[in-house]
Amino acid sequence: MVDITDTLDCTGEVCPYPDVKSKRKVKKMNSGEVLEILIDYPLSAERIPETMKSLGHEVLSEEKLGDSSWKILVKIK
Amino acid sequence: MDFWYALVAGLIIGAIFGFILQRGRFCMNSAFRDIILLKEYKLAKAVAVALVVLMVGFAIFAFGGVINLAPKPFKPWGAIVGGLVFGVGMVLAAGCASGTTYRVGEGMMGSVVAAVGLTTGALMTGFGVLSNAKNALQATVVGSGPALTLFGEFNATITPILMLVVGLVGIALMFFFWAWPAIKRKREANESLIKFENFKEATFKKGYPWWVTGILIGIILTAGFIASNGVVGITGGWMDISLWLTTTDSVMWPGFIIFGIIIGAFVSAYIGGEFKFRVPKDGFTLLKQFFGGGLMGFGAVTAMGCNVTNILGGVPQLSLHSIVTGACIMFGAWIAAYLLFMWRKD
Repeated sequence: MVDITDTLDCTGEVCPYPDVKSKRKVKKMNSGEVLEILIDYPLSAERIPETMKSLGHEVLSEEKLGDSSWKILVKIK
Repeated sequence: MDFWYALVAGLIIGAIFGFILQRGRFCMNSAFRDIILLKEYKLAKAVAVALVVLMVGFAIFAFGGVINLAPKPFKPWGAIVGGLVFGVGMVLAAGCASGTTYRVGEGMMGSVVAAVGLTTGALMTGFGVLSNAKNALQATVVGSGPALTLFGEFNATITPILMLVVGLVGIALMFFFWAWPAIKRKREANESLIKFENFKEATFKKGYPWWVTGILIGIILTAGFIASNGVVGITGGWMDISLWLTTTDSVMWPGFIIFGIIIGAFVSAYIGGEFKFRVPKDGFTLLKQFFGGGLMGFGAVTAMGCNVTNILGGVPQLSLHSIVTGACIMFGAWIAAYLLFMWRKD
């Protein structure tokens, strides 16, 4: 079980707010903390994990919760 | 065009286009905006791939006498002002003309609002209060013949040859710089180049890689040109639908393309488990999407075409008008993305 430090709820957000908000959020978090991102927009759901990896963070899991609904866990580097 | 032909062919081509748009998440708003915003180039590369496929496709069928190329005449002010306004509008609307349309099929209510804005703006510019502004912007025409292309006046014999050359050079460059390094990497890692065992899953459930999206968009829009002997457009289709709703006119080819896109995107989203009714949390977002749609409508009519008509229809024909419009759409998107997301760092 992972301890989730903070949750970013991006459901209902339009392009590109999920990407921009998650990028801004991880910048403010400390090393070792875990961010949970909830998202319902397919493009960003595919793109955010890649962005996070390229920023050096660890993507712990990408889980599809239901129709157009995803949960992404990111551990801050 | 015969009504039944328009209905059947329009719906089929539209539906395949919509399916590809949804699987490929193909949206020029993301493609252009994210070059500066997220430093993410996949969709921009998909646009580039689609362009070279379209150049070769259009050229081949023009040689065969199947289609008549008709690049747009160069109206510089229409292209510059229309392109910039369209580019700003699509960032506010959170989707270009085709992106907005396919997301309607995904169940995104914000895109429905943006599509209504697009139609309203287009009608106001085409026939309403903004038509004088549009006419003034379109008054200046540069060139002495039917249409100025990148290499001088359009010529039905020479232009397709140049399109073929530019397209093939483009394909060669992309293969060398993008495909070859990837193939080499996979070879060194001893991976098979294409994995056929999960073909079904990759086709119907997952998002497509950018190069697959680009090739498929190129093929389906070439098919669209063949089927209607004209480039596929989005804005005209929405105007067609609004006329169908408000007058006794029947839906025609452009409107059936729109219905097809929405149906295709719905089917694709439904199969992939990505269909859901979604409404932006705050009303301000909806207002912004409506206003952005309206700007796109004005821009599309003023520039004689939205991003699909100009970038995926006119640029492959080397039309200078469409090239300038396309560049201005991109600059407009960059200006809006900078002001909205990058100017204020928080």
